[in-house]
Amino acid sequence: MDRARAQLTWSLVAIVGFLTVCPVLMLALGSVSEGLTAFGEFTLDKYVEAYTDPALFDVLVNTVVFVLGSSVLATVLALFLAYLNTRTDIPFKFFFRILSIIPMMIPHLLFSVSWALLLNPSNGMINTVLRNVLGLDHAPFNIYSLQGMILVEALLDLPVAYLIIAPAMASFDVALEESSRVFGAGAWRTLVRVTLPILRPAILAAFVLGVVRSLASFAVPQVLGMPGRVNVLATHLYEMISLGFATDYGKAAAIGMSVLATSITLIYVYRALTAESEKFVTISGRGYRPTVIELGRARIPLFTIVAMLSLLMIVLPIAVLLYTSFVPYTMVPSARAFSMMTLKHWRDVLHDPLSLLALRNSLFLALGGATLGVLLSVFVGYAIVKVKSRASGILESLSFLSFSFPGIVIGVGFMWFFVQTPLYATLWALLIGYIATYLPYGIRPMASAFVQVHAHLEESSLVCGASYLTTMRRIIVPLLIPGIVSAWILMASMFVRELTLSVVLSRPGTEVLAVQILKFAEDGLWGKLSALGIIMIGVSTTLVVLATLVGARFRAAGNGG
Amino acid sequence: MDIRIRGVSKRYFSEGKTITALDDVTLTIASNRIFTLLGPSGCGKTTLLRCIVGLEAPDDGEIAIGGEVVWSKEKGISVPPEKRGLGMVFQTYAIWPHMNVFDNVAYPLQIRGLAREEIRERVDKTLRFVRLEGFGGRPATKLSGGQQQRVALARALVAEPKVILFDEPLSNLDAKLREETRKELRQFLGKLEITAVYVTHDRVEALALSDTIAVMRQGRIVEVGTPQKIYFDADTQFVADFIGRANLVKARVKAQEAARTLVDCGLGTIACQRRDFPVGAEVTLCIRPEFIHVVAGESGGENAVNGRIASQVFVGEAYESEIRAGAELLLARIDPDAGLKVGDAVSFRLDPAHCLLVSL
Repeated sequence: MDRARAQLTWSLVAIVGFLTVCPVLMLALGSVSEGLTAFGEFTLDKYVEAYTDPALFDVLVNTVVFVLGSSVLATVLALFLAYLNTRTDIPFKFFFRILSIIPMMIPHLLFSVSWALLLNPSNGMINTVLRNVLGLDHAPFNIYSLQGMILVEALLDLPVAYLIIAPAMASFDVALEESSRVFGAGAWRTLVRVTLPILRPAILAAFVLGVVRSLASFAVPQVLGMPGRVNVLATHLYEMISLGFATDYGKAAAIGMSVLATSITLIYVYRALTAESEKFVTISGRGYRPTVIELGRARIPLFTIVAMLSLLMIVLPIAVLLYTSFVPYTMVPSARAFSMMTLKHWRDVLHDPLSLLALRNSLFLALGGATLGVLLSVFVGYAIVKVKSRASGILESLSFLSFSFPGIVIGVGFMWFFVQTPLYATLWALLIGYIATYLPYGIRPMASAFVQVHAHLEESSLVCGASYLTTMRRIIVPLLIPGIVSAWILMASMFVRELTLSVVLSRPGTEVLAVQILKFAEDGLWGKLSALGIIMIGVSTTLVVLATLVGARFRAAGNGG
Repeated sequence: MDIRIRGVSKRYFSEGKTITALDDVTLTIASNRIFTLLGPSGCGKTTLLRCIVGLEAPDDGEIAIGGEVVWSKEKGISVPPEKRGLGMVFQTYAIWPHMNVFDNVAYPLQIRGLAREEIRERVDKTLRFVRLEGFGGRPATKLSGGQQQRVALARALVAEPKVILFDEPLSNLDAKLREETRKELRQFLGKLEITAVYVTHDRVEALALSDTIAVMRQGRIVEVGTPQKIYFDADTQFVADFIGRANLVKARVKAQEAARTLVDCGLGTIACQRRDFPVGAEVTLCIRPEFIHVVAGESGGENAVNGRIASQVFVGEAYESEIRAGAELLLARIDPDAGLKVGDAVSFRLDPAHCLLVSL
């Protein structure tokens, strides 16, 4: 039994190690090579070339402003929302749950596009309306700017920041604040000396994760930064490798090395911070129920802000896409616009062979990739939780590594690898890349599912006289089903919308939905883009619903015996 | 400093229902004594404490600490907690996890803007007082439960408040530690000129610690008195039952004598300590198990009760036995040396001084 476990663990270390270390290694090797075809001949030329590029300075400044700006904004917003939800009597608290989950379902690419449709300076809908109403001669807002990118990226990172800060706030023992009040500190001093310091690890963790995510973000700078020539590292890298330019994978790898190093460092900082934050979780349960702060007259205005945020983050993006997919060209909603509505874009998309190919490829990657990914995650989750050995420790660190992978950079690493193999320009290259990059999203739910399967549950079934197979079928699998379902849902919906890795790895014939949508965006085909975007959201929602139903079915079958 | 509470009420609204947490509470807490609010969970004792300290505002009434009104509905006075100058020990201790022991204890002094030297001196003195000398540099969360409890006490005492409040401070300790800490707390408080208000649901804690106990039920004060008064001379069945183990027997007042009240009950006619109930009133006779002195065989005479042992449980120092007497089943403690067993005929004679009549 133990030997079998050790063998399993080490072979998992080999598989996960290949998936995570291989692209990093290839990136490093690529950065000291002359080019994709001249792999393996040592040179430092690419570093010199990449880091002496005069354009790099502006890119770096933009990146720092973009990353810090969006992370600070996302963290502050999350802090504000978490405080309102956990500590005040704000009405309709379910809004907060919607706010924290739904935006994760909307692909970043489509979110960025919908903001471009609303606020672009030439014919953005809100801009046009304001210009007409206020009689301005130029657009009041320009989303194609660093500020616009910061705003959109912050809204995209807000749910993640919220999910880190809100639980920390909810598990916060209110007596810690009350005691400060009793001992003479006013509300403000209590906030500064007690509340914020205790929440500091959680706040910093949210901020650091925001930095990692915005550093890796490609959709926002590509859609909103490119038109205004605001380049950040991700788009700078993309320019070096995208078809049609003078592609230079060596230079991209050289820049990518610093991005990856930064990202990995930050993820370890993040890990340390969350561990710290858990230490600060104070005794709860037996204490007095927390006093809810009565907002009084501020209740309705504050709620209005939250409702507006929900509108901005959920309703508006989808509504804009839906609307744009039906009008023949970009125009402000009006009676005339509605009378001109047409199915033309939908027909075009459904007859466009490239779009159909992309749809087919994405479906294959989502179904196949998520299934394979979950299969691997089940074994890795088992090894991490149930096998306590050095190998399982290594496995955990390895599987955590890809959490820090910026898609574009790791795509470049994979490119260096796949070019040397027959997998180049096949869907399998994308599939392997997807699983490697998104493995933590499968492993996390599986690991927590395995934590629930306490050894005693297994043992008591065996003691009751059930065979090992029956125990597996009646006890273990049913307990794992929720974990399997949520891992599959997470992976499948991420694979349907995957953009950053795909723009690097996909070649003619292996286009996927997001890549096709980005092409439409570059060509300004907003109607077709919106139709395909809605199809993408529909596919991902259908997969979520189906997986939930199948999961419920399985659990019922397991219980029925 | 004394605390005067007059007509204080507090209502909550939860899930469309109104819950009355405090119902017209009037109470005077004497200076420099240990005053305990005792009652089952949900009786309003913690709410009352929180109203005194200022963490919650009553809906009605007035609260004055040392003659200064800190909350009044009529006068529109509401002094925030930080301006009341009190000390408090929280149920969860509320030790700040991001500070070490010294900083936790120093906090009230730092807030008051004292000089660095003075703060160090007074913190050291207070840590010595609670026997945590040399613990100042330790991270507060690394201490044991008992030590954390003493840090919380030190922090509450360091600014030398005239009033200190305790919200079930021992409930997170295990039984043995709880007993030791209780003794210690009594010692610490005895050395200081301080009014202590103590909230607990543990009757033994209340009896052992308090100068005065107020028993609360459903937002109201039921009885106030010394521990002895509450234990031996309760006025109501609720208090008699809550404060200790009691045999409660339904009875009807038969006659009143100069020093005794006679009642009829399932045990026959029993002479009790005199209580001013009208003849014929329905009352409850309360007999504590420790006052039932069981002997083998039958006996006669006034207040003699005959019965049989219905069950016995050995608990170490005694047998806890149930004695069937007529229709009643009474709990008694029997000496293991008496050699009595289940089914044996036994009898006991009740001392009228320990037959307590309480209203329903």
